[in-house]
Amino acid sequence: MATGARSGAAATRIVGWQHSGIAYLSSAPAMIIVAMVLAFPVLFALWQSFFGVSPIRGEQPFVGFGNYTRVFSDPQFWASLGRTAIFVFGVIALGLTLSIIFAFALNRVVSGLRFIRGIAILPYIVSSVAAALMFRTLFNSDFGFPNQMLEFFGFAGIPWLSNGNWAMLVIIVAQVWTDLPLALLFILGGLQTIDKQLHEAALVDGATGWRSALYISLPLIVPQITLATVWLSFKAVTSLGTILALTGGGPGDSTQLLTLEMVRLGFDEYDTGTAMALVIIIFLLNAGLTLFYLGLQRKFGMK
Amino acid sequence: MRAAMVWLPLAALVLWTVGPFLISLSVSFKQPAQVFSDPGLIPAQPTLDAYFRVIERPGFQQALWNSVVIAFGSLILTLVVGVPAAYALARFRFRGRHLLLLFSLLPMLVPKVGLMFPLFLLAVNLGAFDSRIFMILVFTGMLLPLAVWLLLGFFEAIPRDLEEAAAVDGATQMGAIIHIILPLSIPALLTVAVLAFREAWNEFELVLALTMTGNSRTLPYELFLMQDATGIADFPVQNAFALLTIVPLILVYLRIERYAAEGLLSGAVK
Repeated sequence: MATGARSGAAATRIVGWQHSGIAYLSSAPAMIIVAMVLAFPVLFALWQSFFGVSPIRGEQPFVGFGNYTRVFSDPQFWASLGRTAIFVFGVIALGLTLSIIFAFALNRVVSGLRFIRGIAILPYIVSSVAAALMFRTLFNSDFGFPNQMLEFFGFAGIPWLSNGNWAMLVIIVAQVWTDLPLALLFILGGLQTIDKQLHEAALVDGATGWRSALYISLPLIVPQITLATVWLSFKAVTSLGTILALTGGGPGDSTQLLTLEMVRLGFDEYDTGTAMALVIIIFLLNAGLTLFYLGLQRKFGMK
Repeated sequence: MRAAMVWLPLAALVLWTVGPFLISLSVSFKQPAQVFSDPGLIPAQPTLDAYFRVIERPGFQQALWNSVVIAFGSLILTLVVGVPAAYALARFRFRGRHLLLLFSLLPMLVPKVGLMFPLFLLAVNLGAFDSRIFMILVFTGMLLPLAVWLLLGFFEAIPRDLEEAAAVDGATQMGAIIHIILPLSIPALLTVAVLAFREAWNEFELVLALTMTGNSRTLPYELFLMQDATGIADFPVQNAFALLTIVPLILVYLRIERYAAEGLLSGAVK
């Protein structure tokens, strides 16, 4: 170990320059800022989640796991967890389907790939609020495009944002629209690393385009599909701005997800401890889901 | 038949991506009443009225200025702090290096919504609530791990021989960094700059948590508030506002699309 470190140092030695003091000094500001805005708040949230209700500087009794048991015995929590589950599942299902179809099509493009890929990434540069407002216009029940189409073909318009189930669908679509670009890029990246000869061999064996895609390409890009799943899931579990600006949790409570519940507890009711407990639960939920997807990949992925 | 199986999904992709923009653009060129009476994509009497009404709002002007200050502040601070850290990590093997690398994974584990409330309490206790400087610090912290990771990969790929040659010629280390490393790293620096700018420009959740007044509120939050304040939704103004916040990013992004796409991938994969 010691010799390894020494030989590493020797390898990096530049004539007359080696000062590890400078290394510490030059990385210190970055480390301090990251510690302050990323690491400290997490520890602080964890710590606060064990204390009782308080306005910002008041008395705070230690309650142990009291906030957690309060959260778990609250029917509102379970209802919002259930809605979050539907939302996350919907985002993954729609997001993966679209990104796989689009990525396979993009992978066949011979010229102009950069142009179309450039268009496909556009939603990535739109803020969550701007995207939400665009979708409010799009899904307006009086003049929105989907209802215009439905009415054109003689169907009744759908009350997209004033019916709970349809509103859930709208926030799923808006969330997928915002987060599709990266999922698409991951999968496209995977497809582009696949050896072209494999497909030629499959063609000789009589497998046509989509059959070879299904049986040859898809199993090879399982890692990228997993990555896209982790990304879509992470963004969906932690989605707030899109939903707040699109439905505000409504109509009724039909799109009141865990994150909105956290904002309500923390900022509207100043219930610090319970809000922090919810923060920690959201962290753990994300970590658990990620491990779950990796487990699935190990089970069903490449042998 | 086989061509249709490629072009059909591509057409769907373009429609899916561009459709919402087109509809938003169409509505932004109408009068509020025309939105209902003239629902077609191409307005019968296009008007720039909604854009003027957005630009004339004092809230918009102040928020635009805040966004510019905070986005450029975050971009500059990210580079000023991130470049030395990445260089040190790339060139020196020192104690604690692995701990620093572990830091770069933090944003993958810590979602921003989880930081809203703790950072709000931190800001209040530091007396830094509703402060643009604190927001620049926070956004820099959010982006630094990714920035350091991207720059580190880039610096490591630059051959050491270049700096050794410079050292033999009597250059100081700082001189070598400024005259050799940085000019070679322009693509990586641009990528980081764009990512930092985008992050700060579009951030909503943390702005919601860390600001109170128009003095520090940025465009997404102003847009969000306007939607509540207009009562009966003024669709043209909302869409004009939304599009005006997107335009600067599109302009920046179109120029360096290649770096951005590659940066996104390399950054996100690790």
